[in-house]
Parts: sequence; C-alpha cells; structure tokens
Amino acid sequence: MFGKIGLLLLFAWVIIGAWMFEPPMSGVSNPEVYRIFYFHVPVALVTFMAYCLAMYHGLLYLRNRRLFDDKKSSTAALLGTIFCVLATVSGSIFARQTWGMYWNWDPRQTSIVVLLLTYLAYFSLRSAIADPLKKANLSAVYSILGFIAAVFTIFIWPRIAPGLHPGAPGDSTSGSFIVMSTKTWLVFGPSLLAFAGLYYWLYSLSLKISGLEEENLHV
Amino acid sequence: MSNFIPMIVSLLIWGVLWIYVFRLDRRVKELEKNA
Repeated sequence: MFGKIGLLLLFAWVIIGAWMFEPPMSGVSNPEVYRIFYFHVPVALVTFMAYCLAMYHGLLYLRNRRLFDDKKSSTAALLGTIFCVLATVSGSIFARQTWGMYWNWDPRQTSIVVLLLTYLAYFSLRSAIADPLKKANLSAVYSILGFIAAVFTIFIWPRIAPGLHPGAPGDSTSGSFIVMSTKTWLVFGPSLLAFAGLYYWLYSLSLKISGLEEENLHV
Repeated sequence: MSNFIPMIVSLLIWGVLWIYVFRLDRRVKELEKNA
C-alpha cells in the first residue's frame, strides 16, 4: 500500500516538476518540446531493464529448470515490449516536433523497430510450441539472444551509424545536448524510478494473475 | 500550442499505464474472490 502511494506521489512530482522547471534544453527555437525527455527516455530505459530481467530469468530457467522462471521471463519480455511500443510512439511524436517528420529512419528509430520485431518473433515462437518444456527451453535461449540484440540496437548501433539523435556520429545537434543540470536530474531521476516502479507493479500483478489462474484451474 | 503536444501525449501514455495497472489489480481481486 505504501509502495503504491509512494509511486503516485513520485508520479505527481514528475508531472509537476516537468512543467515547473525550465525545459531541459536551451538554445533551440522550441525548448518546450524537450520536456517529453522526462517521459520518453525513462520509458526507453525501462524497456532495456525489462529485457535484461527477461534474460536473467531465462538464465535462471536454464540453470534450475523451473517453469515459473520461464513465466517470469516471458512476463518481463511482454511488459518490456509494451514499454518499447510506448517509447516508439512518444519518440515519433518527439521527432515530429524536432525533426519535422514522425519517422525519419534514424538509426535509433530503425533499431527500435528491429528490437520490436525481435521480441514479436519471440512471442510468435512461444505461441507456436505446445510442449511447455520445449517452449521454456527455446524461450530461455531466445531471451538471452534477444538481450544481446537489445544491447546492440539500443547502445551500439545508434552510436556507430550517423543519425539525428544526440550522440550519433556526425550529429549536428550535439552542440545543444540535453542539459543534465541538478533541476533536470530532480525530475529525470524520480521519473526513471517511477516508471521502473510502475513496471515492477505491472510485473508482479501479471505474475500473481497467472499464479491465481493456474490455482483456479486445479480447483 | 503544438509545443505542448509531446507532453500531453506523455501524460496520455502515463494514463494508459495506470489504466492497465488498475485493470490487472481488479483481475487479481476477482481471481482471489473465486479461489
């Protein structure tokens, strides 16, 4: 209960802080647009954490062979994919305001599509196998490979290929990077914590539901 | 006004996640009642 109230308070602070302080970008014509940074970046980072959690439980499954670890791994990946979609949607709206188009095939935009397809294939694979043990084995291995793909697509590829995102080689906007001042951190830090907390809440509720559904089936 | 669209969309995203949480929470309560 305290966790839920804490999370609500944290989100309330993020919303107030995101509007209250000056935008996290200066020296551009539309600094107000950059306030989306407080939502878009934490959602994208939580996506990465989710795929990391999916890989961790995949590894645990391969070690202990407990089907509950497979359930944890697939739940983490499913919620990660929902966050990935939200990061893509918020990112394309951000792109429309800053680069003029919803979709520019910037390396980071391309890589998020690759990541989404990778995990959509993961769920297709899971739905195609009826045997729970075989499904768990293949999913665990896939979750490890998927995480490697996530590291490459989120952190490596956008830094190698020239693009529009800050930090890309040849990026002409890198002079006006997001200003990570104390005030920016005061909103960004709690925002990251809040989205991670919300993710964890969704994750634990989903696991509880599958546990209860299984229990009800056996009654 | 268009400058504020990203923030408004962000708040909508935030809203979608909260609705999802509350739906899951309600489902847990239903299942607990049936158990």
